[in-house]
Amino acid sequence: MNKKLLHIFRNTPFGRETFLQSLYFCKKVRVMPIVYIPETTKFLMYFAQDAVQVDLDNSYLTSPESSVKHATELFEANNFKPVFFEPKNFTASTLPDIPTNFDFVCLPRSISDLSSKIGLGHLGPKVRRIVKTANFPTLITSPVFKEWKSIAIFFGGSENAVKAAKLGLRIGKAADLPVRLYTIKEKDEKYYRNLLKDSGLEDEFNKDADDWHFLENNPFKEVLYEIPHDALIVLGAFGHGIIKDLVFGSKMEKIQSILTNNLLIAGPNCTVPYL
Amino acid sequence: MHFVKYWYKFIYYRIFRMDDRLLLIIAGSIVGICSGLAAVCLRQSLGAVLDWLHPFRHYWWALFLPAAGAALSSIYLEKVTKEGPGHGVPEIIYAVSRYGGLLRFRSSYSRLISSFLTIGSGGSAGPEAPIVMSGSTIGSNLAKFLSLNDRQRITLVGCGAAGAISAIFNAPIAGLVFSIEIILGEWKFVNIIPIAIASVAGAEISKILYPGHTVFVHQPFNIVLTDVFASLALAVITAIVSIIFTRSLRGMGKISKQVPLPFWTRAGLGGCAVGIIGLFLPVVLGEGYHSIQSMISGTYSMGILIIIISIAAKIFATSMTLGWGGSGGIFAPCLVIGSLTGLAFHRTLFALIPSLANAGEGAYALLGMAGLISGMLQAPLTGIFLIVEIAGGYETILPLIVVSSISATLCHYIEPASFYLKELVERGQLLRPGSDSRILSDLSIQELIDDSYVQVAQNMVLREFLSVIKESDKYLFPVIDEDTRDYLGLIQINTIRQYALDPGMHDMILLNQIMDTTVVTGTLENGLQELLDMMDLNNIDIIPIVENYKFIGMISKAEILNLYRRELIMQTSIQ
Repeated sequence: MNKKLLHIFRNTPFGRETFLQSLYFCKKVRVMPIVYIPETTKFLMYFAQDAVQVDLDNSYLTSPESSVKHATELFEANNFKPVFFEPKNFTASTLPDIPTNFDFVCLPRSISDLSSKIGLGHLGPKVRRIVKTANFPTLITSPVFKEWKSIAIFFGGSENAVKAAKLGLRIGKAADLPVRLYTIKEKDEKYYRNLLKDSGLEDEFNKDADDWHFLENNPFKEVLYEIPHDALIVLGAFGHGIIKDLVFGSKMEKIQSILTNNLLIAGPNCTVPYL
Repeated sequence: MHFVKYWYKFIYYRIFRMDDRLLLIIAGSIVGICSGLAAVCLRQSLGAVLDWLHPFRHYWWALFLPAAGAALSSIYLEKVTKEGPGHGVPEIIYAVSRYGGLLRFRSSYSRLISSFLTIGSGGSAGPEAPIVMSGSTIGSNLAKFLSLNDRQRITLVGCGAAGAISAIFNAPIAGLVFSIEIILGEWKFVNIIPIAIASVAGAEISKILYPGHTVFVHQPFNIVLTDVFASLALAVITAIVSIIFTRSLRGMGKISKQVPLPFWTRAGLGGCAVGIIGLFLPVVLGEGYHSIQSMISGTYSMGILIIIISIAAKIFATSMTLGWGGSGGIFAPCLVIGSLTGLAFHRTLFALIPSLANAGEGAYALLGMAGLISGMLQAPLTGIFLIVEIAGGYETILPLIVVSSISATLCHYIEPASFYLKELVERGQLLRPGSDSRILSDLSIQELIDDSYVQVAQNMVLREFLSVIKESDKYLFPVIDEDTRDYLGLIQINTIRQYALDPGMHDMILLNQIMDTTVVTGTLENGLQELLDMMDLNNIDIIPIVENYKFIGMISKAEILNLYRRELIMQTSIQ
């Protein structure tokens, strides 16, 4: 269990749900959970090409005296030894630096937008920026704790979709769960199969994946009903470049605003960890 | 789409990135121009608002103007841009030394606006640091846009700082020196040319957009031997004033943090104190360029007693403004306090010995400025070249060198870190290029871990363990729990010799009875400097690394030094 997941703890009932989801992920994939309990409403993450300041809302500072106790209880209830992250470096006295060398980071859908805390809402700008910049996959949890029983990989044919497929196959293997690929057919089936073959994932897919579903390019919301409600969705994000994203919007953002499932997102700079 | 991509790649890689030095020069000049624009914008807007508020300064309620400005400035920084108070220079140095010069885009405008509110309303602070912050951030973000590497990004951050100082004072050499001496901390050929070009670009854009409005008009002086000797005494005085100013600024910051009031009320109280002083001593208000100009040109009419009181008042007002939550830098206050100190020194000395020939009080005001800048920032070259360029010639160079070098040396002796670096040094986060801590921080702990150590179970009997030893070339063996695989302790071969030589004990002793559980362990989160300190403190040469209770491997001093040597060779070979 050398891989690490960072969870930013929020001492609220909603925060408990997301933390339970992180712990469940860690248990399934055998990753070590590390909790950061913020003491200020902002922190900085320095990536290779960007410095992202994350501005949390005040709910992250709720009842600081009971935060450690609550987090410890949840750790122990899930048979994990509690590990807390203490920032060592500070850009300013109230601005800690959070390292970016974690293998996974769990983020809520929005970390500073009160209106979309409970509902699915849309990705907050900071979450979007972290996903775009980070070298780790990002776990975006469902609003309420739910276990997942399979892995659903969205394979749309982009460069990031290949990363997502690799990640999904490794997660499926580590968690010993069935893996299914889903593709919304915009091109011929053969094109997607060749793409998987060219990226060297064909053998892995044949060995570890159970099925590949090609969905007709009907209205997006209808197509997504085919995805099992209890699957961990693994998908790539922002792989099409800024112009295509601006014109057509991000598929990943559409998916996250429609599906209540847990999402594991591989951004453009993400490296897929060995599990 | 493919056509656009093809041409984008062609232009970017074949033309724009054809030569990295050329790229840096072009990017540096763009950054210099942007810094110059930021300087012009802030100076123009400050000039306009100070002129607009001037007629109201004699009303009693004018004391609330700096209070309102400081309160608004702190609210803007805390609630709108979500940045902390302060001038930002330590943040730039921190980013340069630790994160390859990565700065947040919001810093390119946030401190310009907040310092406009603070200084424009009459707060005692300087606009230089916010402009430096803005220019450096533009450099950092341009580097990000162009996907440049860390070293190139740092150069562009330096370009931004140089362009800012150069544009404000029309002093390109001072801009270059400030950037290299204070921001980057290293003189390297690859940095100097782009930064020099950025510096010139900043000065030129300022001259084009703001013609005939240099901050200080050139003033030639005729230096005589008396001035050189007098500058020895002035250096000591400026050093003392620098130390008092540094401690006052930091002390006020600490006091304000203990006041149980909202941050904006604290800033308002600080501003209010400045407003009250400003009713009686207007020299403390704003950035003070106008007062400096009259001191340089020898037309400052206040008496010696008022000047001495003004020095104390300006120190107090700046500490109240910046320490209590206002926004701005210390560069302009340093110049005001320095010129007042120089003036006070001149008037006192030549009142006592009126027959001595001298260069005039304007020259002493300049020497005082150099002494304060060199003392506060511990950057003598910045002080020397700034004043040379303000004076418009090298006539003052000899006393300038005397004042700057002695003041900087004395201050360094009393306060080992300059005002900009003190906080970083106290937090152990100043990693200047070429320093031990910088090289160690550049080494990856993962590269050093030796994970070839054989882990043994706690319930293994000694006989079994002896057979493990036979097949291993190591002398240390981590002991783990068979079930949880948690690390429990360490066995060193030399500590079990007495049991190993007694065959009767071989089946009686379990490893958990003889393992050493007191050996200090490190984690992957520890820095190499920390690990070395731990090894020194415990007098050991090798340390186990344990993460989440699991044994990861060992790190030895020898391996750290070996990698340190290689890294040092690599870093010093880059020119």
